[in-house]
Amino acid sequence: MPNFTDVTGLAGIASATAAVVLLLPGVAGWGKPRLAILPAAVFVLTLIPFGGMPAAAYIRGMTGDLSITTLVLLWSALLRPWCDCFEAQARHRYALLVLIVCAALVFYPMALGAGAFDPYRLGYGNPQFVAVLFLLALLAWYLKSALIALCIALAMLGWTAGWYESGNLWDYLLDPFVAAYALAAVMSCGLKAWKNCN
Amino acid sequence: MPLMLESIICKPGMRHAAIFCLVLGASGAAFYKVSHRPPPALFHLPMIEQKIGVVQKSVNAAPAIRTRFVSTQQNIAVHAASLVELGDGRIRAFWFAGSREGAEDVEIRTAVFDPSQDAWSAEHGIANRAGTQRSLLRYVKKLGNPVAQRAPDGTLWLFYVTVSLGGWAGSSITAITSTDDGASWGSARRLITSPFINISTLVKGTPFLYSDGTMGLPVYHEFIGKFGELLRINSSGEIIDKQRLSSGKTTLQPVVLARNPQQALVLMRRSGSSPKRVIATVTDDAGQHWSTPTATTLANPDAAISGVVLPDGKILVVLNDIEDGRDALSLVVSADGGTSWRTVYQLEDRRGQPKDQARYMQITGELAKASDAGIPDPAAYAKSAQRNKCEAQTCGYEFSYPYMIQANNGDIHLVYTWNRSFIKHVEFTRAWLDQRIREGGNAKLH
Repeated sequence: MPNFTDVTGLAGIASATAAVVLLLPGVAGWGKPRLAILPAAVFVLTLIPFGGMPAAAYIRGMTGDLSITTLVLLWSALLRPWCDCFEAQARHRYALLVLIVCAALVFYPMALGAGAFDPYRLGYGNPQFVAVLFLLALLAWYLKSALIALCIALAMLGWTAGWYESGNLWDYLLDPFVAAYALAAVMSCGLKAWKNCN
Repeated sequence: MPLMLESIICKPGMRHAAIFCLVLGASGAAFYKVSHRPPPALFHLPMIEQKIGVVQKSVNAAPAIRTRFVSTQQNIAVHAASLVELGDGRIRAFWFAGSREGAEDVEIRTAVFDPSQDAWSAEHGIANRAGTQRSLLRYVKKLGNPVAQRAPDGTLWLFYVTVSLGGWAGSSITAITSTDDGASWGSARRLITSPFINISTLVKGTPFLYSDGTMGLPVYHEFIGKFGELLRINSSGEIIDKQRLSSGKTTLQPVVLARNPQQALVLMRRSGSSPKRVIATVTDDAGQHWSTPTATTLANPDAAISGVVLPDGKILVVLNDIEDGRDALSLVVSADGGTSWRTVYQLEDRRGQPKDQARYMQITGELAKASDAGIPDPAAYAKSAQRNKCEAQTCGYEFSYPYMIQANNGDIHLVYTWNRSFIKHVEFTRAWLDQRIREGGNAKLH
């Protein structure tokens, strides 16, 4: 019987795989029924054990659990055909990506040993860190940046509930894959004119 | 999509209000969790200190040292042994063994030493790659170093290195528990210790307890940087704090030596270029702050060390006290908190010995017999050493990865890798050590 955190971790990986499939060439033009069936089928397939373990478990072994931020971005993409509310958030989505890039560029080098200060330690329940996140989420809400507020709030909620194995809040906020994606997206955007990006 | 959910998500006013509630609710919950975070705790000192009078009167009062092999399986590679004292005073050892280090068939093996019988039990495997993978619901490529700690509630925790991606730098820590002192084990759980796909945290140093019953687990990081860290783990196996003991690219495998509830010395393996010295950092506030790491006078050839703090405050350390190779292993003691060290016993010393295969086989056979008079076939032990330590016509001696504990009765138990082929056990009484310290007035001073 798998643990709750194994189920959530594997479901996160399966969600990501399902969302990635929607990026395949030609899929974007499909109708809603097919757009629903394809990711659902991929989600289920990645969770069916082959050779003793589901495909999602092999992926999870190498990637770890995906952050809530990654899942929010993926789910906003998955739900796009049914609800265009996130389309209106395009500007704020870009702001979220910039925020992720800035956080990752400061956080990862320090967390991997650059200097004596380890910011990852803050994620084990540092009250000042939680306060900063609360203020950031409140500011994002005030500025009507739903995506940023949603990512931070759901990450805090997931951390409090013990959604994943990790007891560190950073693991709910950020992962290297969303950081790499955000960096690529921001750089790509930076190469184009600001107008074209919006 | 249900109508209500659609109206919340897609109507801007409703969405704005819902997100406000979510932010408030999530932040409130997070602050509640933070407010219930355990406060810092002092170091817990083993009960040996209070039993010193008992020790003096015990059968172990006589000066004695004994050696024997823990592992018996031949023609395999073994490494990274560790020890833990069980509830009834027996000692359980763990190590990894397989066709070669890093191979898929490597498993964590264990055996139990019964002091009343003066013998080790037969060894057997308790964790392997496939079982760990099934239990973790993740791909696992190989297993590595195991260390154990007995929690105040009697639960035995075994932490061992698992790799899913790349080499040892891609390691994570897996934990299993036993409520019957290692007779049976529960399912594995992964410790999440690093933000970068949870890679590069390894164990080697002896775990310890804090005064509130939480466990301290010295770990190290070796992806890009190489530095020591300290995890604090609660009785549920959750990491509640993580501290950096050093930074940069040159320190590994911290060993925490608590001298009293507030003060501790941490010794670390030096990896990389000069100075080839053990690196130390200290705390005076139970680990809230650590001093800038500095080089000690102890030599270190990029090899693991181990140590214990004796009830009288002396620090006993076992290490390869040389700058190159791992062919000599020494016991050193400090009576001044780690400022100066004196060699009290040379456990192994094969420096300058012949390395051609014929002579190597003869010498290792003699060493095996001297290590354990009870082994039936020393030549077979030499053959195992030849398998693991000879390349072409040249062989090497290796006595490495020591792990030392002091049992509650005052006896000291030490295990280490013997030529990558067997785990050797050295057991000595406090009386023997005191005698060595008294006689070693002229011994090498560091």
